Amino acid sequence: MSPSIIISPQLLEDLGLLKVMEACHCRSPQGNKLKQSVQFFGNADRQALDEELTGIQRLLCLLRMEHPEVSEAQTQLSRLRELRGTLNRLDKASLLNDTEFFELKSALRIFERLGGLTNLLKAAGVEIADTRGAAELLDPAHTGSPAFHVYSQYSPKLEEIREQKKTLEKAIRQATGAQRKTLLTQRALITAQESKEEDAVRRDLGEKLAKWLPQLQHNTNACGILDFRLAKAVLADRWQGCLPTLAPCHEPAILTNAVHPIIADRLEKQDLSFTPISIELHEGATVLSGANMGGKSVALKTVFLALLMTQLGYFPICEALQTPLYNFFAFESSYEGDLHRGLSSFGLEAVQIRNHYRKSQTSQGLILMDEPCRGTNPSEATAIVQALCNTYGKSDSTFFIATHYRVHPEPGIRFYQVRGIDPQALEELPAYLEAPRKAEDQISSPLHGLSGLSFDYLHEDLTRVSRIQKMMDYCLEALDGIHQTPSSAIKIAELLGVDDALLREMKAARQEE
Amino acid sequence: MMASSTKPNIDLLQIAGLEDLQSLAIIGLSKNAGKTTCLNHIIAAWQESEQKRPLALTSIGRDGESEDILSGYEKPRIYVSAGTLIASAESALQRSDTLLEILDLSGIRTAFGEVVLCRALSDGYVELAGPSVAEEISVIENLIRLHEPECLFIIDGALSRKSQAGSGMSEAVILCVSAESSTDPATLAELTDFALTLLQTKTLQPEQPANSFMDLISEHPEHRVFMLHGNDNSWRSSSLQTPSLVGHGKEIAELLKPDTYFLFLKGAVTDQIVRELLAEPMFTELTLVVEDGTRFFLSPDCLFKLHDRKVDLAVLNPLDVRLVCLNPTCSNGICLEPDEALDQLRDRLTIPVVDLGPRNM
Repeated sequence: MSPSIIISPQLLEDLGLLKVMEACHCRSPQGNKLKQSVQFFGNADRQALDEELTGIQRLLCLLRMEHPEVSEAQTQLSRLRELRGTLNRLDKASLLNDTEFFELKSALRIFERLGGLTNLLKAAGVEIADTRGAAELLDPAHTGSPAFHVYSQYSPKLEEIREQKKTLEKAIRQATGAQRKTLLTQRALITAQESKEEDAVRRDLGEKLAKWLPQLQHNTNACGILDFRLAKAVLADRWQGCLPTLAPCHEPAILTNAVHPIIADRLEKQDLSFTPISIELHEGATVLSGANMGGKSVALKTVFLALLMTQLGYFPICEALQTPLYNFFAFESSYEGDLHRGLSSFGLEAVQIRNHYRKSQTSQGLILMDEPCRGTNPSEATAIVQALCNTYGKSDSTFFIATHYRVHPEPGIRFYQVRGIDPQALEELPAYLEAPRKAEDQISSPLHGLSGLSFDYLHEDLTRVSRIQKMMDYCLEALDGIHQTPSSAIKIAELLGVDDALLREMKAARQEE
Repeated sequence: MMASSTKPNIDLLQIAGLEDLQSLAIIGLSKNAGKTTCLNHIIAAWQESEQKRPLALTSIGRDGESEDILSGYEKPRIYVSAGTLIASAESALQRSDTLLEILDLSGIRTAFGEVVLCRALSDGYVELAGPSVAEEISVIENLIRLHEPECLFIIDGALSRKSQAGSGMSEAVILCVSAESSTDPATLAELTDFALTLLQTKTLQPEQPANSFMDLISEHPEHRVFMLHGNDNSWRSSSLQTPSLVGHGKEIAELLKPDTYFLFLKGAVTDQIVRELLAEPMFTELTLVVEDGTRFFLSPDCLFKLHDRKVDLAVLNPLDVRLVCLNPTCSNGICLEPDEALDQLRDRLTIPVVDLGPRNM
């Protein structure tokens, strides 16, 4: 992964970028290699990114028109093999074997076919060099056959040897016993001469083909670029990605109805739908608040993925997206890593806070933090989060933080919250009624041996929690400079039958606060 | 039979009914059973009878090399006619002296390089080193049929791995036997008869449990053990994922129920796994099913014990064994008397037997 992308392997997995790359199906080894190399386009690569995205957009148009050149290109690209080894040996003047000549002959046929797809190549912004001269070297009999062997046409001497051998083989077919053995011995001698002459032909052919090496290498790379761009266009078509607008530096990133494709797919399998996310991220700090399970982490991942996909040259899965080009991306989540690393979670967070801050001093980046200081005492945590927002509020980097802690408005700090559950809708939910407990209502624990240590939820409770969950509105809404902490938790506790005495205490404590 | 004919090789095609076949596997009862010799006879017969369809050859593992890599003894080489298709690994092709035209690259890698599809443009020797995994044979066959849809596809087994010629890979099978298995004609006939009993194990009947097993195997390709409990009206299934069969007999038997009627084991069923199962009392009154007859590696004693326990054997894919080829020689030079061996084999077997030994070369 590029040093411009600072993210732990676990969070990277969780983010879904690897699944996005998996879904982007390249057909050639060259396309796959390019995909795996993960090219990050920073602000200095604006023109290259623009070319990449424009190429994808034009290919997407052809794809949606069902232009026949698209499927022809896909077919040809799927036939292309890894050529690095063969080209390398050609470059080193090694003696190529027949399989390698066949590989080159096949590749040259593919280049020729692709070279004829003028509309597609123009759309993709890719050029294929004319290598017909090299192809002719591998088809001396001009048969047009895709097959290859060391043709007799390469050498009169070879032709003569083979004629002798053919005559002998005819005789062998008729012969038996000792006569056959004698003829086979004669054949072995001729075969040795044939083999020697074939090697001379192979060496000569290799030398002639080596002159075409620059064009062969150019075309191999061009096929990789074409394949990867075409794969990204197919992905954009499948997931309804959009051509992002590359905004000048210091402009905000504006995402309209962004979707996390991997989470959306997962939800669809459960008959649920993903709520698209719209947000403006300006230089400075943006604070996202919202109830637990309100989708803050999903919102962060969706925003990060969409912006990162853009700067990796993919179409983001949004209705519209404009973004400046950040020079680095950083994502830190207190939800991951701390357990398996077995170290102080805040200690590790502090390291990341230090690193991100230092990097932001010299470079304009996008820094996302999901619930930092989650395990720290609330008073210090509030101070740390406020300090981060104040500091990044004055920075030209973009800092986007999801937090439960109260953040006071300061210059350069903007606020969003997950809309959450409409209090009116919660009021309309029928009051909790205790149902008599039945054995079949219990969800049994799969760990029978530990059943004494676990507890069972009543089916009724689970249904009710699920019903409340479905009332959650995951949309983000900008707040007018006031960061409100979520306030529906006590109501939810009431709707789930928490006893009156306990509820009264909760409400009193809330008022005192 | 062969010795008396003026065109012995052509007789071979008729006896084994090869002319209308699409695919054939040659398997051996032991190492040096004479598979390559048998293949050379078929190639010669094909050429002599001027068949219109080409032959297409591959092997499971390596074959056709000039000497046995284990014993160092000289081995017969495969001599093909122009027009024959060959699917063999790169380095094996480099040791072939036929003029070969490369038609396609299979993408299947072996220890000897990628398996390459070629057409012989001249007569000559070839060395076969095909895929080492039986499942890849069907990939090779599909590739071959893109170029020659009507060919007779012949799979030459390596060493004595008869198991790898099964799994519905070929339409018919030729079994090669030699003095390597026994230099006593009566014993050789007995061993061959027993091998054929296992190879030709009957197909699982009725169809419904067979279909259920097919579905279960495709649903859980990583599982090795499947069983069906209940009756014709409603079968219940269970399955088990084990790294191997051997060593897991107890685990398998624990899944057996009083109404388990069919137990399917994927892979080689050996004496060892059967002994493990026989140690469990629930392993009784059921049908033990495997993919095909080549999966059984059982001794007569073990088979007897299974019958004693009322355990029947059945297969999902039957094997059509067309011919038994006798090679009366042994790699150490000891020979058995061919006529006596032929008589013994023909007395015991219902399948045609031919002698492909030195006197018919």
